[in-house]
Amino acid sequence: MTDLNIDSLTMRFSGLVALDKVSFTVKENEIFSLIGPNGSGKTTLFNCINGFNKPQNGTINFCGNDLLNKKTYRIIRSGISRTFQNVQNIPFMTVLDNILLGANSRIDTLGTLKRLVSRDQRKIEESMALEIMDFLGIANYEQKFMMGQPFGIQKLAEIARALVSKPKLILLDEPAAGMNDQETREIANIIRDIRDELGVTVLLVEHDMNLVMSISDQICVLESGKVIALGEPQIIKDDPKVIESYLGEPLNA
Amino acid sequence: MKDRYEHENLYWIPILIIFVFLLPVILKGVTFSYKYYLFVLNLAGIYIILNVGLDLLSGFTGLVSLGHAAFLAVGAYTSAIMVDQLGVPFSLSLIFSPIIVGIFGFIIGFPALRISGMYLGLTTMGFGFIVKRIIISFRDWTQGSAGLEVSSPVLFGYTIKSDWDNYYLIYTFVIIAIVIGRRIATSKIGRSFMAIRDSEQAAEASGINLSQYKMLAFFISGLFAGFAGVLFAHTSSFISTDHFDILLSIYFIIMVLVGGASSIYGAVLGSLFIVLLDNLFVPLIEDQIQLIFNTQAGDIQSLIFGLIMFLFIIFQPMGLYGMWLKMRIYWKLFPFNPRQRFT
Repeated sequence: MTDLNIDSLTMRFSGLVALDKVSFTVKENEIFSLIGPNGSGKTTLFNCINGFNKPQNGTINFCGNDLLNKKTYRIIRSGISRTFQNVQNIPFMTVLDNILLGANSRIDTLGTLKRLVSRDQRKIEESMALEIMDFLGIANYEQKFMMGQPFGIQKLAEIARALVSKPKLILLDEPAAGMNDQETREIANIIRDIRDELGVTVLLVEHDMNLVMSISDQICVLESGKVIALGEPQIIKDDPKVIESYLGEPLNA
Repeated sequence: MKDRYEHENLYWIPILIIFVFLLPVILKGVTFSYKYYLFVLNLAGIYIILNVGLDLLSGFTGLVSLGHAAFLAVGAYTSAIMVDQLGVPFSLSLIFSPIIVGIFGFIIGFPALRISGMYLGLTTMGFGFIVKRIIISFRDWTQGSAGLEVSSPVLFGYTIKSDWDNYYLIYTFVIIAIVIGRRIATSKIGRSFMAIRDSEQAAEASGINLSQYKMLAFFISGLFAGFAGVLFAHTSSFISTDHFDILLSIYFIIMVLVGGASSIYGAVLGSLFIVLLDNLFVPLIEDQIQLIFNTQAGDIQSLIFGLIMFLFIIFQPMGLYGMWLKMRIYWKLFPFNPRQRFT
């Protein structure tokens, strides 16, 4: 029962309807992609799941919990973590400390107090982050300051920060934005590994169609806040509505 | 998993602690006016304790406080009243006064949930004025603006009187404050504080309760300021509202900035640098400057502090500690790529 159920979600910013009765279900261990033109409400949907925006109507249900009643800082405890479209890292902290920020929900008050008297607690905390950094292949960056790191490392560090809390569902907001083909392929492999090795369900927003089509199990297409298509990649590719509003005609047609 | 601490050099910590405890002996051997130097070092020590707390609040969490002289004043007056008028032993006052100042900080922290930056600075400054007014008004307890005589601290039946004894009392707490401050900074709390400063969104998404941590920052900062206040009251044996001027709050911010905001060692270096400069270097050149520029006593201090802050913010925004970090990286990499800094 670790499905994410979104039912007739409606979010209005005064006059503008950002999300209009959006409904879909993300099943456990699935890579679910949200695509759509700019301003179609993908990030707003993420913000609703994450508690940054409070929608007027509808429900979001995860593992039997109603997420809309929860404060933003409680969402991560119910097993959902996220990354941001514009990387949100702390420049004057080391990469390791940035990632440890995500482990906050795993460190209880007793552990925090223990840190004041012993160094062992710090080692325990660091091993949490190093485990994920090894998994993503950025372990040799641990001691370096986030400030001045290449964009790819910053993106990976953000994914690591989201993963270190051991979530059941991870929301990835354009992980491949601003990356070249090589890096995009690496990201695709990483997303697959997140699902296969860590067993984390992935909800993905992405504009790179090759990436989306190659790794997704389900795709949901949004346009001006409405769901216009929902299904497997092959169905979405041939859907006339999606081609008209987002994908466009193939060049050699 | 590899162990990162195996290769860390920690030998300098005991050496530094031994040096701190031998310093009075060395000073006595070297100079006749060692008592004055001890007095200056004691003042620096008290400011170090306070600035470690201020750094956690203003450097790490980014909540600028221009009211820390008031925190110091509350700590000093609370302890003075508790020990001299209510008969509480000094050792108990050393525990309870900081907690009272922490709660005071907690209350001042409420506006911080809604405002930030310069407006918060002005609000805390306003609290500074209020505290000063309250101290003057409660004449029965505080003797008003005439000032209050405070007894010397008594610990385990031993009265701590001379600057020599005060030095050891203060620097024991300085070392504890630095260690605790350092550990807070590298724990979950310190990381959360920095996240709140740099990206509230990322902080909240990582499970940090923003309002809770902002209040915690004010409380911790108040605890440190409270300790500094207690030590200040009992080692200087006389306190009055003139000691806790608004200018002092600004000097505290200068100390943290010059030392390097958001690093505990920076707060330590900054306090030492400014206090030693103020008390040892400024008197040396004061007479000459007064002759040249026809200034009055006291003007020169503001002039030098203003100039230092100005130069540091433009040329060395990471402060003295940042300078040290850059130097260390430079020497480590020396023949290769010496320009590389933090990448």
